[in-house]
Amino acid sequence: MAAVQYEQATRLYPGTPTPAVNELDLTIDDGELLVLVGPSGSGKSTALRMLAGLEPLDEGRILIGGKDVSSVRPRDRDIAMVFQNYALYPNLDVAANMGFALKQQGVPKHERLERVRETAKLLDLEPYLDRKPRNLSGGQRQRVAMGRAIVRHPQVYLMDEPLSNLDAKLRVQTRTELVELQQRLAVTTVYVTHDQVEAMTMGDRVAVLRDGLLQQCDSPAKLYHEPANLFVAGFIGSPAMNMLPVPSTGPLEVGGTEIGVSDDLGGERATIGFRPEAVIIGDGPTPARIRIVEDLGSELFVHLLIDHDGEERRIVAKVDAPFVGSSGDNVRISLHGTLHLFDAAEVRRQSVEL
Amino acid sequence: MIRRARRGSRLGVGESRAAIIALGIAAWVVGMLWIFPVGWTLLTSFKTEQDASAQTLHNGLTFGRYSDVSHSTTGTLSLSAAFTNSLVVVVVSTVIVMLLALPAAYALAIRPVPKWRDVLFFFISLKFLPIVASIFPIYVYAQKWNLIGTRTILIVLYIAINLPLAIWMLRSFFIEVPRELIEAAEIDGTSLFNQLRSVILPIAAPGIAATALLCVIFAWNEYFYAIQLNFAGASTMPQWVIGNVSTRGNFLAKLSAASIIACLPVVLAGWAAQKRMIRGLSMGAIK
Amino acid sequence: MNVAADATLRPTAKGQVGDPFSSPWRRRLPLLPALLFAILVTQLPFLVSIYYSLTDLKDKTQSLIPEPTKFVGIDNYKAIFSDPFFRQAMWTSVQMTVFAVVLSLLFGTLFAILLDRHFFGQGLIRTLLITPFLLMPVVAALIWKQQMFSSLFGILDKVLNFLGFSSVAFISDHPLASIVTVLVWQWTPFMMLIMLAGLQSQPSDILEAAGVDGATPFGIFRQLTLPHLRRYLELGALLGSIYIVQAFDAIDVMTGGGPGSTNVPYFVYQESIGGGFRYGSASAYAIVVVIFSIIIATLALRLLSGLLKDEERA
Repeated sequence: MAAVQYEQATRLYPGTPTPAVNELDLTIDDGELLVLVGPSGSGKSTALRMLAGLEPLDEGRILIGGKDVSSVRPRDRDIAMVFQNYALYPNLDVAANMGFALKQQGVPKHERLERVRETAKLLDLEPYLDRKPRNLSGGQRQRVAMGRAIVRHPQVYLMDEPLSNLDAKLRVQTRTELVELQQRLAVTTVYVTHDQVEAMTMGDRVAVLRDGLLQQCDSPAKLYHEPANLFVAGFIGSPAMNMLPVPSTGPLEVGGTEIGVSDDLGGERATIGFRPEAVIIGDGPTPARIRIVEDLGSELFVHLLIDHDGEERRIVAKVDAPFVGSSGDNVRISLHGTLHLFDAAEVRRQSVEL
Repeated sequence: MIRRARRGSRLGVGESRAAIIALGIAAWVVGMLWIFPVGWTLLTSFKTEQDASAQTLHNGLTFGRYSDVSHSTTGTLSLSAAFTNSLVVVVVSTVIVMLLALPAAYALAIRPVPKWRDVLFFFISLKFLPIVASIFPIYVYAQKWNLIGTRTILIVLYIAINLPLAIWMLRSFFIEVPRELIEAAEIDGTSLFNQLRSVILPIAAPGIAATALLCVIFAWNEYFYAIQLNFAGASTMPQWVIGNVSTRGNFLAKLSAASIIACLPVVLAGWAAQKRMIRGLSMGAIK
Repeated sequence: MNVAADATLRPTAKGQVGDPFSSPWRRRLPLLPALLFAILVTQLPFLVSIYYSLTDLKDKTQSLIPEPTKFVGIDNYKAIFSDPFFRQAMWTSVQMTVFAVVLSLLFGTLFAILLDRHFFGQGLIRTLLITPFLLMPVVAALIWKQQMFSSLFGILDKVLNFLGFSSVAFISDHPLASIVTVLVWQWTPFMMLIMLAGLQSQPSDILEAAGVDGATPFGIFRQLTLPHLRRYLELGALLGSIYIVQAFDAIDVMTGGGPGSTNVPYFVYQESIGGGFRYGSASAYAIVVVIFSIIIATLALRLLSGLLKDEERA
């Protein structure tokens, strides 16, 4: 168990113009589950691999438990990693797979067996100990991959999109099991995913990356309610935040209706954003037309068209069931909730309550 | 009609039964024609010399020529001597080739050395020098070191002949091993040797078998060095076969029998391993 | 243990692992035994050959004990360019190699197509078709020389006569064709195996999609299968050429040299221990051949669709 620190960590692939990971500063507390999230190419996997020692650092350093491991080999960093495709040794059975690292470290056989059995029990893998990976289902393989990491009692767990290859239902189920497991084991965990829902539900804190740069690292709640910039605001939350361009001065209008709030951005205003739950369909002042209604049972997402600043814009409203309305209907909407204001540099400058 | 059916299924949708049967018959015809020379030789080997010369079958089939050819006469290379020589030379050289090529392929595929492309090209370029060109320097030195007529010189040369091919093929099989597996082994603290043994070899096994088989084929069938570097009485199977080419009379049946015997081990090995060969080749020799 | 990381590594290539902490020398270590062996056993004779090529080393007494030598500089090389027999041998080599490689690729592909589908006795036919490749080249040459081509005992002549044609003295009248026949007969199975691997590695869903899109079987073959097979054809051509260009056994057995069938290796052999015993000039010929081959191979490898390229896949 140890804290992890990235200090100005940079990785620039030879021959590419921009770094894959750009001066990353990140501190992960002991026992924390931190999620690295971002679209593909954001550098999240690279950052994880740098922590693993599978990628070198061009600049900066990485510390585990206060020790600089920037030039230490992967095997000496006391870490364990779960790969996206599990990377199970195909010719070894489950028990041998889990015990492999211990064997390489020279752990005596009886202790090895004991630890393997203990971990197998934790993950409900006991009936499968003598099966080869090809005879396991995807979910079972995933658990073996986890078991292989857990059995080593490392200082840090690294997970590279471990749930991506599971089907949707299994993914949701395994997600919660994983979080419970991590809390129980209380080992520092760095978790990479491209799925923001996974990030939000699992992480103690979430670090959002884009093009190699850290956008924001905060608790899920803070990310949701206080996004640092346009990118985070649009990336976190599903459906995405509604965003509309606004003139830099003058009264704030949405869909032709004045909002009636003033901002103190001194003319640097560029975009406003509001979440779907802030859109109320009823007798509001702004006219809108329904494009499509997505009915999820307990709630509905209504996709609307409004006339904003002379152009037709799409926004989404989140409505509780029941809702009556279908494509083509004309409705009236109002805004009630948090409105975020962003400047031309895409930074969030102010949020007001409506 | 060249339309592919799914593996194992007999009839794709829309395929005519007639076309399938026609293709099957075509395959049989082609196969029979192609193997005809071998089949004919096999038949000849069981004939008497009379029948062989005249292409008749008046005297029936006999094992006589096989026993003729197996008996040794003083001064000529005996079957048992030639066979033993060949066996030793082929096995030893192939084993050593694999021992040299496996780590080399690792150094070109899994943890590549800088400039691995140049190294690979260097190994391939070794096959550009016609072996007939280097025979004289080799002969001179072999004579100096008393290696003429020994198995050692052949072993050394066969290793040199097969090493480029082995490295090339093994490398292309190794790059098929999923990178994550190697990384996981890295993190688990596996040494190079253990990585080879526990992770890479099991996955690349068919490819390794295919490579070894090719080395065996080329070594067993090698003729030039065997002839040039050995006295008539101390050589390998190819020389033994040639020894049965008689200038005096026509001993076609005897020669046929000798040919069959000489080729049989490798042919049987090739038959047994053909599925593995194809699987190995399709796995990754082509990259 | 602090080891300097190698930041120049790009582990995104398939099969290659970062491990940036292994120094280049550590990575070279597994390569050394093979490299050392290859250099010792092949480069030393090569260097010695270069030395001989600059002398007039020969052995008039045919006792395999060469006479004392005299350094002649590049005289041997000059002689090469005015040697019509060498040019003839080069031309024969080119013809032999091109015909043998192209024909065996052609037949190999056809056979692979035939064998790619399931039919009764598929395994047996494939086994039979592979066999010629497994035979000793000298045996293959003997079989064709005596059992097929020979005018006395050969079966082909009997068949021709039976069909009403006059006899053909295959080997004496058509030496090059005879040798090419044997080479093609032996190497077609090898090409067939490679092409089979190629056909079987085609993902079937692409073919199915094409079928659904309305493509005819020939259309699918021409536009999807052939491009996919291209790198297999290239590999077959490369490997086949490397071996076929050195063809020796068949020539020695069937024609013993002679104007129509002497390729470069056989020519060099005849210059040196095959009768000429002019080791100096033979070495010069050999060196010229090597330089030639390296040039051709470098060009060919540049052109070929990245046989040595790493597979870029993150």
